Amino acid sequence: MDTTASDTLIRTNLDFLRRHAPFDRMEAEALRFLGERLATAFYPADSEILVPEDGPPRYFYIVYRGKVQARQVGSVAVTEYSTLTLGPGEGFPIGSISAERPSTNGYIAVEDSYCFQLPAADFLQLQELSPSFQLFCTRYIASLLNQSREQLQVQFSQRAAEQQTMTTSLSNLVKKAPIFVAPDMVTRSALEKMAEFGVGCLAVAGEDEKPVGVLTQSDILKRILLPGFDLTRPIADVMTTPPHTLNGNASAYDAALEMATHGVRHILVVDTDDKLKGVISERDLFALQRIGLRQIRSGIESAADVQALQRASRDIRQLALNLLAQGIGAEQLTQFISALNDALTRRIIELNLKNHDLYGVEYAWLAFGSEGRHEQTLSTDQDNGILYVLPEWADKEPLKLRLLEFAKDVNNDLAACGFPLCTGNIMACNPDLCLTIDEWREKFGTWIREPHPEALLNATIFFDYRVLYGDEKLAHKLRHWLLSMTGGNPAFLKAMATNALDVAPPLGKIRDFITDDDPRHPGTIDLKKYGARLFVDAARVLSLRTGVDATSTVQRLRQGGSRIGMPAEELSAMADGFHFIQLLRLRHQHLDTDHGSSGDNRVKPDDLNELDRRILKEAFRQARKIQLRLKLDYQI
Amino acid sequence: MNWLSRFLPGSSPGLNPNQQASLEAIAALPAPDLGRSHYETRYVVVNTETGPMDGGGQRLLAVGAVAINRGLLHPADAYHASLGSAPADALIGLLKFIGRAPAIVYNAPFNQGTLERAFEQNLGSVPEVDWIDLMVLMPSLYPERIAGQARMDAWLGAFSIDRIDHRDALLEALAVAQLHQVALARASVQGLTTPRDLLETQSSRKWLRGS
Repeated sequence: MDTTASDTLIRTNLDFLRRHAPFDRMEAEALRFLGERLATAFYPADSEILVPEDGPPRYFYIVYRGKVQARQVGSVAVTEYSTLTLGPGEGFPIGSISAERPSTNGYIAVEDSYCFQLPAADFLQLQELSPSFQLFCTRYIASLLNQSREQLQVQFSQRAAEQQTMTTSLSNLVKKAPIFVAPDMVTRSALEKMAEFGVGCLAVAGEDEKPVGVLTQSDILKRILLPGFDLTRPIADVMTTPPHTLNGNASAYDAALEMATHGVRHILVVDTDDKLKGVISERDLFALQRIGLRQIRSGIESAADVQALQRASRDIRQLALNLLAQGIGAEQLTQFISALNDALTRRIIELNLKNHDLYGVEYAWLAFGSEGRHEQTLSTDQDNGILYVLPEWADKEPLKLRLLEFAKDVNNDLAACGFPLCTGNIMACNPDLCLTIDEWREKFGTWIREPHPEALLNATIFFDYRVLYGDEKLAHKLRHWLLSMTGGNPAFLKAMATNALDVAPPLGKIRDFITDDDPRHPGTIDLKKYGARLFVDAARVLSLRTGVDATSTVQRLRQGGSRIGMPAEELSAMADGFHFIQLLRLRHQHLDTDHGSSGDNRVKPDDLNELDRRILKEAFRQARKIQLRLKLDYQI
Repeated sequence: MNWLSRFLPGSSPGLNPNQQASLEAIAALPAPDLGRSHYETRYVVVNTETGPMDGGGQRLLAVGAVAINRGLLHPADAYHASLGSAPADALIGLLKFIGRAPAIVYNAPFNQGTLERAFEQNLGSVPEVDWIDLMVLMPSLYPERIAGQARMDAWLGAFSIDRIDHRDALLEALAVAQLHQVALARASVQGLTTPRDLLETQSSRKWLRGS
C-alpha cells in the first residue's frame, strides 16, 4: 500500500463527508476511521443495491452521487405511501444494520449512482468511536431537529447582533438621505417641507452640505406659534444653532449619551468632511434596545388609542425576531405571538366598548382558524365571530345590530393594527357570524349532518374556535355539544378524514420534493397548504373523534393520539415535524418582512440548506405517517 | 517467451540487484485468469503526468494508479510516484502495483506510449501489459451518449464525474476509475462479462477504425 496515494484518496472522501450531516460534526478520529474504510461502487439506474432477501446487510451505504430510492417491500397494501428518496450524504439502512436483521426496504438506484460502502462490523465500531454518530443513528429525527435549531439560533443571533447592539455605528443606522434646507429659505416653505416629508427634525445646511442649524417639531410651538413668529423670515432666524452633530463612526451609545447630556432628541450625523449624512432620533435608538415581552404587554394594556396599538403590533414583530434569536422553538414562539395578539385584540375590544354600550349583554368574541388554534404566524388575516345570548325580554334585531356595529369597528381597528380584513368575510361584522348559541348549534349541526365539501371546509375553520373576550362558559357549552355530536358520528368523521387526506405531502418519488407547478411560483412549496395543514387537519379529526377540548394541533395530537393508543414517541416525532414546518414558515416570513415585502408561505426547497431540506423531508414523512393512520382507521 | 527474459542479468546494466529481483518477482506472479467476471477481477487504472521535454515531446513526470477490485474502488489500493531521481524505482513500483492485472487507461496512444518509452529508457525493456483503452471502448458501450471518439472530459461530463485536479496523475486516475466502473456496468449488460471480452471488443474496434 502506497500511503501517500491512499492519503490523497482518503482526503477526497473526507472532503465529501465533511459537507454532509451528520459527518460534518463527527469527531476527527472517527471521521478518519470512516474515510479510510469507504469503498466506492457504481450502480446504474434501476439496479438493486440492497434487498431484504440479502439477509442482514453486510454494508452500510452512503449515497455519494445520484439518487437511491427505498421501497417498502410486501407488508401493508399502501405501497404508494412507502417510498422515499435518498440523495448525496444520506446513509442507509441505519435501523436494520444496527439491529443486524434483514432490511425491510429494498434500495434501488433511480439514477446512475455512486455509493460508498462500509462493512457492517466497521459501522458498528464507528458508532462506538463516535458518540455523535451514535446519537445520529439512535435519534435520527431528534438529532436533525436539534442541529437545525442550533443553526437557526446562530443565524438569527447574528442578524440580531448586527441590527441591535448599541455599538452599531451611526452610519449603519442612518436609513434615509437627510431632509435639509438652506439657511435663507423662508420659514413657511421650510415648515411645508417638514410636513411634506413627515420629519420631526429639519436640518439646515449650506451649499457645502455642512449643517449650520436644526429645527424640531417641539420648537415650532415655542418659537413660532406662540410668539407669532413672522413666517416670511428666513429659517436661520429661528433655528437652533449650532446643531448637535456626531461623526458617522460614532456609536449608537455615543448618540444616546449626547442626547441625554444635552436633553435633545435628534443628532445630526456627519461624515469626515462634516457634510450632513442623516438624522438619528431618540426613537431610532430605542428600537435598538431589546423589546421585552412585559414592556409590550403593559404597552398594550395601557394603550389609549389605535395608534399606540399599531406601535405595539410592530413591537410584537420585533419581539418575534428577538425570540427566534434567543433560540426559542416554534411552539413557544407561536404561543408568545398568540398571547400578545390576544392581548392586542382584547385592548381593541375594550377601547371600542367605550363607544358601544353592551352593558348586560352576554356574548363572547371568538377567534377561528389558526388564531383559534394558537398557531398564528405573522401574516395571518383575521378570522372572528360573535356568540351571544338573546335574553327573553329583548328584541333580536336591535341587539344584533348593536353587536354588528361594534364588531365592524373592532374589525377595522384590527386591520389598522396589521391583521388584514378577511377576504372570505369570516369576520364578526358579518351577520352570518354574529349568532346566538342556538344559531351556532344549528349551523354546526347542518355541517355535521350533511358533510358536503363546503360544510367540511367550514368545519375546518369554525370548529377550531376559541374565546378571546367575553363569556367563556358560553363557548364551553357549545364545545361540549359539538364534541358529543361529532364523537358519535362515524360518517361525519370519515368525511372529515377524507377531506384531510385531500392533499398529500409533497414528497417526490424521484425528486426529493414535488414543487408547485404554478408558473407564477416555480420551484416553491406552499408550506401552509402542503405542510402545516396536513398535520392540522389530521389532528382535528383525532380531537373530534376522541373528544379533546384543546384546539392547538400539538395538544390534539398528543391527547387524541394517546386516547387511541398511539405511542408517545411517535406522537412526539409528529409534533416535531409540525413544529419544524411552522419554524420554516416563521423564518421565511421574517426574512421577507425584513425586506419589506409581505410574508407568504412559499418556500423554495432549493434555497434551503441541505440540513433543512433533509429535516423538511423528514417532517413530510411524519405528515405521511399520520395520514396513513387516518387512512387505515377510516378505510379510505 | 515472456518479457522478463530481456531483464536477465547483463541485459540492463543500469539496474541494481534489488531492482532485478523485484522485476523477477513480478514476472513470477501467476497471470490472472482473463476469463473470470469483472466482479472477480482486479483492474488497475493507470495514468501519467507529463511535462514538456527539451527539444519537443512529452516527458513522464509521475505515475498514478487506482485499483478497481471486484467492482470496488478502495482508497487503500492506490499508487502514486514521481519519477524524480529514481525513475526505475518509481516504474518498478508501478509494475508491482499492477501485478499483471489488466490495465485501464484513457487514451492509450498517449498514456501507454509515454509509459512504454519510459520503461524502455529506465528498465531497458518494455513489459507486456494487457492494456484496455476506455477511449476506444466507451463509444461502443454507450453509443447513445457519445457516438464517436471523444475527449476524456466529454465522458466525465456525461456521467457527472468530477475531475478534481487534471494535473495530478492520481486524482485523474480516480476520475478514470469511476468512468471504468460505469463502463463495467454497461459491459456486463451487453454480455461482455470478462476482461477478455473487453480486450476482444477493443481489438475489433481498432481494426474497424483501421488503427
